[in-house]
Amino acid sequence: MAEPKDLMQRYVDGDALAFRELYTLMAPRLLGYLMKMARTRAAADDLLQQTFLKVHRARAAYIRGADPVPWIYAIAHRTFLDHARATKRAIVRVGDEDELPEVAAGLGGAPDGSSDEVPDPEALAAALAALGKLPEQQREAVVLVKLEGKSVAEAATIAGTSVGAMKVRAHRGYEALRKLLGGRA
Amino acid sequence: MNVDDLAKAPLPTPPPMSAALEAAIVTLAPVAPRRPLRQLAILVGISVVYGAVVLALVHVRRDLSQIPMAWIVGAGLAWFVGFIVPAYLATVPAAGAIIPRWRAAAIVAAIVAVGFVIFGLTMPIPAGSLSDQFGWPRFLHGHTCLEIGLATALVPVVAGAIFLRGALPVGARWTAAALGAAGGCFGGCVLHFHCYITDHQHHGLVHGGVVVVAALLSAAIVPRAQRVA
Repeated sequence: MAEPKDLMQRYVDGDALAFRELYTLMAPRLLGYLMKMARTRAAADDLLQQTFLKVHRARAAYIRGADPVPWIYAIAHRTFLDHARATKRAIVRVGDEDELPEVAAGLGGAPDGSSDEVPDPEALAAALAALGKLPEQQREAVVLVKLEGKSVAEAATIAGTSVGAMKVRAHRGYEALRKLLGGRA
Repeated sequence: MNVDDLAKAPLPTPPPMSAALEAAIVTLAPVAPRRPLRQLAILVGISVVYGAVVLALVHVRRDLSQIPMAWIVGAGLAWFVGFIVPAYLATVPAAGAIIPRWRAAAIVAAIVAVGFVIFGLTMPIPAGSLSDQFGWPRFLHGHTCLEIGLATALVPVVAGAIFLRGALPVGARWTAAALGAAGGCFGGCVLHFHCYITDHQHHGLVHGGVVVVAALLSAAIVPRAQRVA
C-alpha cells in the first residue's frame, strides 16, 4: 500500500484511483476515531463521509511533500465538533448506552488480522461507556494518544491545542478512565 | 477490559464511499496544490501595490523631508516587519505540514498589537513644520487614521483568507487574528508616511489601535468565510 503522502499527491493531480486508495487506507482509522467520539455507528459513518467530502473540497490546500494524515484527522475532528454542536448532543451523555453495543460490535466485530483475539463485545461496550463519561477534551486526548497511537505532538496538532495541554488532558483522562474501569487501565 | 484492550480492538470496516463522494470524484480535475512561500510573496506584493495606491490617494505628508531619516526608516521598517512576520507564520506551515503555525502566529500577533500601542504611547515622535498635536481634547478627530489603516489592512487579510481556504480545520480564529494584525501593521506603515499628528495618544491608540482592531475584526469574520463547507 502506498504512503498517504504519495496518494494525496496523485489525488491532487487528478488521479481518482489514488483517492479510492486513500479512502481504503484512511477510512478504517478515521472511522475508529469517529466511533469512539460520536458513540453511534450511524453518526460515525456519516461523519466519515463528510470528512472525505471536506478533504475533497479542500484538496487545493494540500502542499506537495506534506503528510496529509494530521490534516485529515484535524478535518475529522472539526467535523465531529460541528456535528456535536449542531445536534446539541453532549458527547458524554450517559443516556446513549443503548448505542454502545452497536459501536462495540463495530469495533470488535471485524478483525483485520492485526489482532490475535477479538475483544468481548460486552467488555468493549463497558470500556466505551467509561470512555464516554470523560469530559470531551480528555476523551479526545485519550482516544488520540492512547487508543489511536498518535504522538502527543500529532494529537495536539489534530485537536488544535498545545503539546503541554494535550499531555495534561491525556494524563488526566487516562487516570479518570482507569478509575472508571476499576483500576484496570 | 482495560484501555490497552480497547486500543487493540480491530479497526472497523468502513462503509463504501457515499453517492456524493462517488459523484465528486467522477469528474476529478487536477488542482494546483498550495505553494505557501509563493502565496506569501503574492500577498506582500499586492499589499505593497495597494498600499502605494492608498498612500497616493491620501497623500504622503508634505513635511516628510523635515523628519529625521532614521525615524522614517526605523519606524517604517518596524511596521513592515510587524506586517511580514505574522503574515509569514499565518501562511507558511512548518516543513512537512499543511496546517500553518497558528499558535506562533497568534503569539506574534498579540506581541505586535500590544507592542505598537506601547510604542506609540511612549516613543518620542519627531515633528515637522506641519505637525499637529491632537491630544485628548481632539482625540476623536483622529478617527480618519483608523479608517485609512483598516482600509489598507483589507487587502492582505482578504488575500490571506483566500490562500488559506481549506488549510485551517483547527486554529482558524488565531490564524485570522494574525492575518488581521499583519494587515493592521501594514496599515500602520501607510499611516507612518501619511499622518502628521504627533501626540502619543494618537500614535498609540489610533495607529496601534489599527493593529488591534484589524486583528479582532479578522478573527471574528475570516473563519466563517474561510471554512470549507
